[in-house]
Amino acid sequence: MTAKLDAWLADSPLGASTWRARSLAATSEPTVPSGWARLDAHLPGGGWPLGTLTELLLPRHGVGELSLLVPALRRLALADDDAARWLTFIGAPHDLHAPALVQAGLPLARMLLVRVAGQRERLWAAEQALGSRSCAAVLVWLDEVDDRALRRLKLAAVEGQGLGILLRPLRVRAQSSPATLRLLLEPTAEGLAIEILKRRGGGGERLGGVLSGS
Amino acid sequence: MDISGLTGDLFAALAPAATLPAPATPPAATPVPVRPAPARVAVTRVQAQPRQLWVALSLPLLALSPDTPQDVPVVVVEDERGRPTVVACNALAARQGVSAGLGLETALALAPELGVQRRTPSLEARRLEEVARLAMSFTPLVCVEPPDGLLLEVRGSRQLFGGLTALLGRLRTELARRQCTARLGVAPTPRAAAWFARAGDERPVESAAQLGGRLNALPLAVTRWPAVTQEALARLGLRRLGDLVRLPRAGVARRYTTAVLAELDEAYGRLPAVRRHYRAPERFTTALDLEAEVGNQALLEPVLHRLLDDLGRFLEVRAAGIHACSVRFTHRGRAPTVLTLRRSELAGGGGDWHRLLYEHLARLKLPAAVTALSLRSGVLVPLPATSSLLPGLADPAGTGAEAEWLIDRLKARLGEAAVTGLCLVEEHRPEGATRCIPPTLAGRAAEGRDRLPAARRPLWLLAEPRPLTVRGGRPWLDGGLVLESGPERIESGWWDGSEVARDYYVARLAGQARLWLYRELGDGGVRWFWHGVYA
Repeated sequence: MTAKLDAWLADSPLGASTWRARSLAATSEPTVPSGWARLDAHLPGGGWPLGTLTELLLPRHGVGELSLLVPALRRLALADDDAARWLTFIGAPHDLHAPALVQAGLPLARMLLVRVAGQRERLWAAEQALGSRSCAAVLVWLDEVDDRALRRLKLAAVEGQGLGILLRPLRVRAQSSPATLRLLLEPTAEGLAIEILKRRGGGGERLGGVLSGS
Repeated sequence: MDISGLTGDLFAALAPAATLPAPATPPAATPVPVRPAPARVAVTRVQAQPRQLWVALSLPLLALSPDTPQDVPVVVVEDERGRPTVVACNALAARQGVSAGLGLETALALAPELGVQRRTPSLEARRLEEVARLAMSFTPLVCVEPPDGLLLEVRGSRQLFGGLTALLGRLRTELARRQCTARLGVAPTPRAAAWFARAGDERPVESAAQLGGRLNALPLAVTRWPAVTQEALARLGLRRLGDLVRLPRAGVARRYTTAVLAELDEAYGRLPAVRRHYRAPERFTTALDLEAEVGNQALLEPVLHRLLDDLGRFLEVRAAGIHACSVRFTHRGRAPTVLTLRRSELAGGGGDWHRLLYEHLARLKLPAAVTALSLRSGVLVPLPATSSLLPGLADPAGTGAEAEWLIDRLKARLGEAAVTGLCLVEEHRPEGATRCIPPTLAGRAAEGRDRLPAARRPLWLLAEPRPLTVRGGRPWLDGGLVLESGPERIESGWWDGSEVARDYYVARLAGQARLWLYRELGDGGVRWFWHGVYA
C-alpha cells in the first residue's frame, strides 16, 4: 500500500523539490519518518519531530488521522525491541479495534490506552505520558486549551523525547500553539489532503491526496 | 581507663584475704562467655562484640500519656511498698519541684493543683511498642527493654543515614515529632548504652577503648539494682560504677547478687549480652492520632508524608520492598476511609511512594474530618540484589521501571479501569474481538496474526453499533453513504445466545471518513448500522 501511495505521490503535480532543499538543511533534531514519502519530503528532518509536539487539526474524527500515523507508530514500536516503550493513546473518541491494529502491524502489547473524560485530567495524563521516557509515542485528543497548558506539554515532550501528537478540532486553528509542527488534515474525494500550517522554517504548503490509497 | 583495668586485684577492699585472681578476662575483641547466660526463656543470643554499636533509648516520660495537658502539673503514680509514689511527671510539675521517686503526699505538698494519674502498664507497653516500631525503621535489630527502654544495634545501618551523628539526629527528630521525650546513649555494649541513656549522658562511646573510663563515671543508680543492693553499696561509700569495679569480684558476688557482677561484665563488654530481639513484623504498621480533627486535606499531606518516611526507612534497612500499602483515615462516628497505594512492581523505600500518594490525594474526597491516621504496608518481600540499599544510587532508571511507574501514576489518579492495554480475542463478533487487559510491555508481537480476518478492519470500533436511517435504499449519515466494498458475512454467537448475522461493508461518506457498516440479516427487514471508523 505504501509503495502504491509513494508512486502516486511521485507523479503528483505538487512536486517536492522546492521544499526538500529547505527541509534538508532545516534541522538536526531527531525525527521518525512518517512513512509517507511525499509528506516526509516536506517535513524538516524528513519525518515527524521527536521530543516536541505535533498538532493535527481535524474537521472531524476519523478522517484518516490514525492511518496517517500508523507507519511511524509501527516504526517506533519495532525500533526499540529491547527497550519496549508504550504507544499511548489518551482520550481517544472511540475504542481501538485490536484486529485492525494487528493488521496494521502494531504490537498490541505496546498499546497503552488512557480513558479520560475531563480536559484537566486529559492534560495531566498527557503531561505524565509525554514526560516519560517509557512512551515511544503519545497521541492526545485535546479540545480548546490555553497556551500555557500546551507549553507545559511541550516541556514534558522535550523530557520524554517521544513522538508527541495532539489531535485537535479545526476550530482551534486561529489560536496560537507552541507545537513545532502543525498540520491541517482534510478529507477530500482524492484522499487525505494535508496543509502544513506551521513547521520549522516555514509552512503554508498544501499536499493533496495523501492517504488516498487503500 | 581501659577495660583491662577492671581486674580482680582491685576488689581487695572487700576480700577477706589475698586478692582473688581475676576471671580469665579475654581481650575485649574476642569475648567469650564466662558463665551461662542468666536463665530467661526464649532469648536470642546477641554477642556483645565490639563490632556492634548500640543506641539505647531511655523514655522517662513513657508513663505519661502523650495527650497529658501541659498547663496543669500532672504526675503518674504507682504504689511502691504500699505508698503511692511518683513515677513520672510533666514539665510543669517538674518545675514545681516534683520528681520521680517522691511520695504522692510530698508531691501534693509541692504542687497542690497536681493532677494525678495512675500508672497503666498496658498503655505504657503499647507506647513502648510504638517507639520500637519507629526504631525498626532505623535498624532491623531492636530489643525492647521494659518498662521504658529500647536498644537499637546501628553499626550496620548507620551508613544508610550518613553516619552515626546523622542517624542520631534523624532519630531525635522522629522522636520529637511524636512528642516522645527520650535520652539516647551510645556504646559498644547494649547494657552500657542503656546505662548512659538512663544517666542522660548522650555523648556517644563508639570505641571499646573509651568504654571502661566512661562507664566508671556513671552513678550506681543507673543500674536499677534492687534498693537493698543500692543502699548497701551507698553505705560503703560507693557512688559510681568505677567505685564498684575496683572491688574484688568474689566479694561482690558473695555480698550482693551474681546478677550484679554479670551486669557489670556485660556492660564493660566482658560477657556476651543476652537480649530478646524485637521481632521484625513482616508488615510495616504505624498509627498517628491527630491532636485535633483535621478537615483540610492539605493539612494531612505532611503527616502522611511523615508516615511514608517511616515506611521508607523501614524498607530501606531491610532491603525489602512491598507491592502495596494502605492509609486509613479514621473519622469520628463513621466508617474509616481507606486509601490503597499499589505498585505494579515491587518497590522499595525510595521517594516514589510519596509521588504516588500525591496522585491519590489529588483525587481523594474525604467524607469527614480525620481524627487519626494509620499506614499499613503489604507483606515485605526482599528486594533483588541490586537493591535500594544505597537510596538515590539504585534509582530504577531503566525504561521498564519507568514504564511501570507511569502506569502506577496514571492508575492512581484515573483509576484502574481507565488505564489498560489491549489483547486480541478469538471471536468472530467484532465487538468481542478486543479485550482490555492490564497494560504490559511483554512482547507478544506476532500474536494472533494468523487468525486475522482477511478483510481490513477499522481502527476504531464504536462502543455500540449506531442505527442508520435509509434514504433511497442507501444508508444515510449526514449524507448518502457510498458502499466501497463488501459484503463480508459475519455470523456467530448462536452458542451463547447473542447470535449475529451481519453483512459488513466499507462505505465512504462523501469526501469524508470511511466507515464500517453492516446490514443486519433479520426477520424484520433490512436494518443498517454504523460500527466502525477507518480512522
